[in-house]
Parts: sequence; C-alpha cells; structure tokens
Amino acid sequence: MDDRFRYDADREARSAARVRALEALLIQKGIITGKTVDTVVDFFETKMGPFNGAKVVARAWGDPYFKGRLVEDTPKAIAELSLGEGMAGAEGEHMRAVANGPEVHNLIICTLCSCYPWPVLGQPPYWYKDPTFRSRAAREPRAVLAEFGGDVPAPVEIKVWDSSAQIRWFVVPQRPAGTDGFTESAMLRQDHGAG
Amino acid sequence: MPPTLRGCLFVIGLVWKNLRRPARPLVEISHGTWADLRKGAESLNPFDYFKYRYYEKWLGGISGYFIAKGYITEAELDALTAEYYNDPGKPLPQSGDPTIDERVVQYLIEGDSPKRDVGVRYDLAIGDPVTVKNVPSVEHTRLPGFLSNKTGVVETVYSGAYTYLCDTGADGIGAAAMPVHCVAFDPQELWPGNAEPNFILYADLYAAYLQPAAAAKAA
Repeated sequence: MDDRFRYDADREARSAARVRALEALLIQKGIITGKTVDTVVDFFETKMGPFNGAKVVARAWGDPYFKGRLVEDTPKAIAELSLGEGMAGAEGEHMRAVANGPEVHNLIICTLCSCYPWPVLGQPPYWYKDPTFRSRAAREPRAVLAEFGGDVPAPVEIKVWDSSAQIRWFVVPQRPAGTDGFTESAMLRQDHGAG
Repeated sequence: MPPTLRGCLFVIGLVWKNLRRPARPLVEISHGTWADLRKGAESLNPFDYFKYRYYEKWLGGISGYFIAKGYITEAELDALTAEYYNDPGKPLPQSGDPTIDERVVQYLIEGDSPKRDVGVRYDLAIGDPVTVKNVPSVEHTRLPGFLSNKTGVVETVYSGAYTYLCDTGADGIGAAAMPVHCVAFDPQELWPGNAEPNFILYADLYAAYLQPAAAAKAA
C-alpha cells in the first residue's frame, strides 16, 4: 500500500514532538521568545473569545434597537459596549452579524479555510475547520445542522454565509423563550449561545 | 491551557504571521502572512489534505515556510524532533527579546485590515445579476471553486476597496485594492437536482472574480 495511506500508530506523539522542536528552534533563533506561546494563549483566554460574543448577544436580546444597529453596522455597535482591546483586531477587522428569526436561520462557513470572527468567538471549534463540514454545509445545511442537534423546520429559510473575503461573520441566535424581564447577566447564563 | 499541539501550532502560526525581523537577523527578512499558510494547505496532494488534520497541515505549512526562507533547516528540525520524541519532558529554551511579544500582542489588538484608502469604481450594484469568472488560479485563490461560472445576484456592495495578503497573479487579487461584493446564489443552480430546498448561499467575492451576467452571456 502506498505510504500516503499509512498512519503512524504514534501520530500524536510525533506531531507533538515536532511542534515542540519547531518552537524550540524558533526560540533559539530569536524569532519568538520563551514566553510567546503563553502570551498568545493568555490573550485568547482573557481578551478575545466567546465571552465577548456572549455579551454582544445578551445586549442584543435585551435591546432590539441595539440588535438593529448590530446587524446594520456591526463594528460600530460593538464599539458601544466597551468590551476592551482587540474587538476590531486580528480576524475581527471587518465583522458582520446576522440575526436568526422565526423565519430565517443563519449558518456561517468558510469553504476555503477556517475564517472566523476571533474577537467575539475566539478560535473556531475543530468541526468548523473540517473539510467535510465545509463542503457539506454549502450544499445540505439543514441536514448538517440536524446532525448537530439543531433541527431547523422545513419552512424556515436557511442562509449560509461563506467567509471568502474580508468579512468575518457571526450569528445572533434567537432569544430563548421564557427570558422576558431577564437582566443582561441572567441572559448571559442562558445556554442558547450556539445557533 | 496546557501546551497542547493545538495551542502551540496556533500560536506559532500567529507569531510567524507577525514576523517582522528576528532579534538577531541571520537571513534576509521575510514577511509571513496567512496567505502563506493557506498556500501551504492548498498545495497539498488532495489525499494528504484529507489525511492530515487541520493543525497537522499548519505544522507542515509553518515549518515548510521557515525552512524555505532559511530560518531553520529540515535536518535540524528532524534532529530536534527526535530528541523531543524520545524525551517529551525536555524543556524548551527560555530566552528572547520582550519586544517580540509586544509586537505579537500589538498585532492581536490592531489586526491587519485589507481595506485601503483609495478610490475605486463600483461597476456593480445591489440587485445586479453577476457571473463568476473562471480565473486561472495557480498558487492561491480566494474564489471558492464551486462558484466558478455560476450566476448570482449582488446582495451587498461593501464600501471601500480591499487588497489581499499577497498578489495572486493571474487569479487577480492582491496587486491593487478593489471592491468586494456579497453575492447570493441559488443552490439549485450550483448543484442542479442535488441541493436542499429553501436555502440561499452567500459568498463574499472580490470584484476581480465577477462580471455582469449580461457580459458573460455575450462573451
């Protein structure tokens, strides 16, 4: 059998060793420092991640005028929230929000690679980057969503947005039922963030 | 977060993207971008593309870039890989110029917008039917292949002009800033008889990839 189709039994260990070696060499050559990896990891744990997106969505759920502004001019609306540095930073320079409703459900994909709105959602989950997801979602989004446990009824139109240029899309899910009168912090505790 | 394969690869990709100059320049300075990483993935044999997981592709792309640009050699990477494989607890070096880390954070905070402050002509308007060109892409493209030769309708004309991380040559983007449009496609036209009903597919497309549908028909 062609070696191309052979998988090393210790594939994970080999890749991990190679990553460590690459990092060590880059530190040795002065390209990165011994602290660079931790610096970036810390940034994604504290400054750029889904905790920002949750606040944007919670505000949108409680304030329909904000939601309107968010869809109309996403960066300007996000800037209203004082979420901290980097909200228009790496992979968030041009973000665009689309809102789910009773008659429309939105799905974001990147068929070309894995473009994702880092400031509001952090790093994409593994399935988002998977070639099978990227290609199937473009042709059978309802079936793919159902496999994720998100059954979208047939009369609801689905809009699939392919992030193939500068825009980094994200979805504002529908406000969950039974949250009337909730404060923003109560809405932040809702587990309906995934659209 | 433990230093997993994922964390390290992602971080190294980020840093390499932000490469400006090493503290002790050993070779000619190069400028790595996400386009280099994408090119690395796009150049893979299709079987390898599906064999290797996402971060395995990054590892190949990033190490390949540093080797090609002369920052490291494959031999020294192989040798050190063997050392870490045989001794996973071997520590990493601890050293470096703190201004490097400051620049990395600066990139994360400021980003790297492709928008350019130049005037351009907008040849297309919202509602215009457009046909996607079949551009002669070689090393890199931002045109999803399944859209070539297909016809859609302009949904958004983004204000401003946009360049790309690299010049894609005959493919058509990156040399000069140009408009970008969001175009709506009917999946029944993309995959006749083989698409789900009741959905619309939108793609953001550089102007170089589009032509008015009437012009495409006449050609």
